[in-house]
This record gives sequence, C-alpha cells and structure tokens, in this order.
Amino acid sequence: MEVRHLEVEVVRKDEAVVLHMKGEINGFAQEALAEAYEKAEGESPEAVVLDFTEVDYINSTGIALIVGLLAKARASGRRVIACGLSDHYVEIFTITRLSDFMSLVPDEENAIREAAS
Amino acid sequence: MTPGRPSSRVGDNDVRETLAAFTVASEPGNERRAMEKVADAVKGVGLEPPKMERLKTAVAEATMNAMEHGNEYDAGKPVYIEAAVSEAELSIKITDKGSGPPIPEAETPDIEAKLENRQTPRGWGLFLIESMVDELRVSGGEDRHTVELVFRLGEEKGGK
Repeated sequence: MEVRHLEVEVVRKDEAVVLHMKGEINGFAQEALAEAYEKAEGESPEAVVLDFTEVDYINSTGIALIVGLLAKARASGRRVIACGLSDHYVEIFTITRLSDFMSLVPDEENAIREAAS
Repeated sequence: MTPGRPSSRVGDNDVRETLAAFTVASEPGNERRAMEKVADAVKGVGLEPPKMERLKTAVAEATMNAMEHGNEYDAGKPVYIEAAVSEAELSIKITDKGSGPPIPEAETPDIEAKLENRQTPRGWGLFLIESMVDELRVSGGEDRHTVELVFRLGEEKGGK
C-alpha cells in the first residue's frame, strides 16, 4: 500500500481559514501541515478550521502534529475547529481529549458558523 | 472454522485458528500495510464496524511501536504479526526483535502539559492501543517484545 502524502489547501472563509486536508496525517505530513498552518496564521483569522473530510488515516504521530498545531493556535489566541471527522476519529479525539480544546462539528458549513459565533 | 487452516488447542474448549501470519519490514508507513492485511484476514470474524476500526488503529500503532522502539526502524529487522481467533477472543500478536528498551506501562498523556510545551507532543501510541482493545498483554525477553491485542468476541466492552 502506497503512503498517501498529505496535501493541504488553505482557503479563507469569512472569519476563518479552512485547511482542506487530503491524504494521511502521519509523520510524513509534518512539513505540509506546518506550511499550511503558517499560511493560515498569515491571514490572522479568528479561527482555524481543520477539514478532515478527505483524511482517511491519522496515527499517533499525526495526533502529535495536531497537538503541536493546537498549541500554536492557543498561543496566538486562535480557536481551532475540526470538521469532517469519521465516527472513529471523533472517538479518538475524545479519548485523547483533543475535543476539550477544539470544537468538533460535522462539516465545513457548521465550522464557519461556529467560527462566526 | 475454515478447514485447512492451522489450529491449536489453548484451553479445555478453546481452539485457536490462525487467520494470518506474516512479517513487515521496519520502514515508516508499513504499519498501514500491516493494518490492512490484518483487517482483511479477520473479516470473517464478524466484528462490528466500530470494533474493526479500533482493531485497525491498535494494529497500526502496535506495529509502529515495534518498528520504531523495538527495531529502531532497521529495515533488516522484521516485525512478526499473527492473528488468531478462538470462540472467546480474537488475538493479534505483534513481535519485534527487541533491541530497544522494554515496553513500558501505558500512561494517560497530559494534554495540558503538551499544549503548554512542557512535554513533547508525542507519546500517544501505547495509550491509544490500550484504549482500543479489550485487553493488552505484553511479554518478551532480551531478544523480542510481543504485544498481544485481545478483542473479546460475543460481548461489547462497556463504552467501547
């Protein structure tokens, strides 16, 4: 099985910047995720939305990358909203308590609404 | 049981059938290969979809730990994986060449400390594995570590 390296598209949407992620969030995703987050920060948004709709695999190294990203967002007073997670990854985000520090919503539309609230 | 597959008697009434036995090289990304291969091998066991997803995560994380901590990502050192089923449980054993330190107890990571950069953001693997399985058995010696992931059959673990 080929590793599907992460691709990230960064899109400004109202009060938020959305990171549309596609592929796997594992050790190989570090650079793509860091670059995308830096680009998002440059927009000075109220919130950063992580769209996991097209992410089919997250491992513990990927969880660590998300924790690192969340730490940066908190340091600059930005909210992080996650959308498009499968039921399994909602469970993982709950077990790891990532869900205590970021909102989990079903889709991008809800995420943009949440960012504006 | 599927005829022609190896089986062994482990208890009075508990015959284990081996569903898969294979190795993967200790190279980054191979945990996903192991995960898919085990998932394919245990399809006939009839796990509910959420439990299958937990199994896949546990197998991937245990394989990754074996490749990284046990075999130090030395591609020449394989990780051995064996899936077996009995009437009572589904078991997946993941064994490395044991050149790293012993497998520690799983601890709940301190996310506040990680978010405040007082701890490395890493260190989720063993905690995730323990959270996904019904029982985690660890064994080994100087030349190997084995992690056995156990999923009980015919019952659902509370909250999982």
